[in-house]
Amino acid sequence: MGKNSVAIIGRSRLAEELFSLSREKGLEAALHPDARGIAASVALAVETCAADEEAKKTILKELDAVLPPAAVLLSSCLASPTTRLASWTGRPEKVVGFATFYPLQGKKVIELSVGLRTEEGAVREAEKFFQALGKETARVKDGAGLIFPRILSLIINEAARSLDEGVAEAEAIDVAMRLGVNYPMGPLRWADQIGLDEVLAVLEGLQKETGEDRYRPAPLLKKMVFAGWLGESTGRGFYNY
Amino acid sequence: MSSFEAKKIGVVGAGTMGAGIAQISAQAGFETVVYDVSQEFIDGGLERIRTFLQRSRERGKITDEEEKQLLARLTSSLKLEDFSASTLVIEAAPEQLDLKREIFKKLDAICAPETLLATNTSSFSVTAIAGATRLPERVLGMHFFNPPPLMALVEVIRGERTSPAAMEKAMGLARQMGKTPVPAKDTPGFIVNRIARPFYNEALRILSDDQAQVETIDRVMKGAGGFPMGPFELMDLIGIDINFAATQSLYEASFHDPRFRPNPIQRRMLLAGNLGRKTGRGFYTYGQK
Repeated sequence: MGKNSVAIIGRSRLAEELFSLSREKGLEAALHPDARGIAASVALAVETCAADEEAKKTILKELDAVLPPAAVLLSSCLASPTTRLASWTGRPEKVVGFATFYPLQGKKVIELSVGLRTEEGAVREAEKFFQALGKETARVKDGAGLIFPRILSLIINEAARSLDEGVAEAEAIDVAMRLGVNYPMGPLRWADQIGLDEVLAVLEGLQKETGEDRYRPAPLLKKMVFAGWLGESTGRGFYNY
Repeated sequence: MSSFEAKKIGVVGAGTMGAGIAQISAQAGFETVVYDVSQEFIDGGLERIRTFLQRSRERGKITDEEEKQLLARLTSSLKLEDFSASTLVIEAAPEQLDLKREIFKKLDAICAPETLLATNTSSFSVTAIAGATRLPERVLGMHFFNPPPLMALVEVIRGERTSPAAMEKAMGLARQMGKTPVPAKDTPGFIVNRIARPFYNEALRILSDDQAQVETIDRVMKGAGGFPMGPFELMDLIGIDINFAATQSLYEASFHDPRFRPNPIQRRMLLAGNLGRKTGRGFYTYGQK
């Protein structure tokens, strides 16, 4: 991967973090809110939209149209398998999925998924990019949410259900999970940090992909997203900020 | 309450949990009595406590004098009748509902009406256990975590008929034992066992779908999630039998909600006798066992 090469696309906190970390590690990176103004020299584009499928489809199509044919397209696969994301583009061989939650800081490992039509060369480029950022990578078979976002989203979902059913107060739930099973954060506080829309996107993606009731989002989680209570980023989630 | 100022605590069962609870109770300054059905079980429990205290003393965590005083506050009994004047009795008998109901029926008849009766159950409804008594208002759950002397959390469980005063008292006593009590409603798995289920169950699902291997899943959960242990390492430590039983109990209690459906991998391991660290073989292999 050349030096003048990385375009980070999106308005999310994750996009900003990827951009500043890329700069910090000496990569020539640019941050774009959308597909406009992307340089012809771009070798790798990182697309971070997770929650809104229509918006994601649109941005992937636009990126596909403006990126040089050889460019690798790294796309967040929190809510959809990589093969599906790739199907919206004319370059399925170049599309690699990645799944992580905000914040990137403190995360040693980033998960990558390989679509059915993804070329090995494109996966290697994606691995090199994250390694340049000081991260290890793990390859996971294609699916929505991969490992960590999937498991954590289900834990948060169960915590939201418990809260909604009056099993315990939010703070009690978080204290119990930190002290009872040594979780690094209580699940509800954690959801507020990540953004409830992203957690909901993982659950809805899994539910859509598998058709299983196991992944049905907690009604409270959906309502909070409708209400715009997404957590830290909007000042209110399970807690107030 | 004047006659209860001395605060006597009774513990039913001298197994790992019972002995651990008795230890923290005595450590907190309560006169503590441990009951079990045979002297052999009692001796086993007391031995476990002595070993723990000896190690704590060797590490400088407690003094010789503290150890002596703690042991002086700890007595044992083969008769539930000795719990008649207790402030609180905590039941930590084997996880069998009939047995627990039988014990509570006896305690209800023996103990003064002011005595709080708590069960340490993790898999049964507190309400179902309280149903065996005439005074369900004073029955609640006090769910300690293993090992009790080291784990700060106690889930204090409010059954259908538990009184607010009983909850309040139990919360206070748990604090006096140096624990962090968290109140919760009597629902399957309470807080922790329920919300932690996907940590194990979804990891098993990812494994059984061949989306990733055991080592990769553990590495990701630690490296991306910051969890202190990966799900498979943790299941091996807990014991596959114990972990499987917890999942199964939630699955049954929720009338087969698919969120809690156990994974065939675990049953296969259970039938094979691969129970984790304690048998030398689980998701990983250990030592020479």
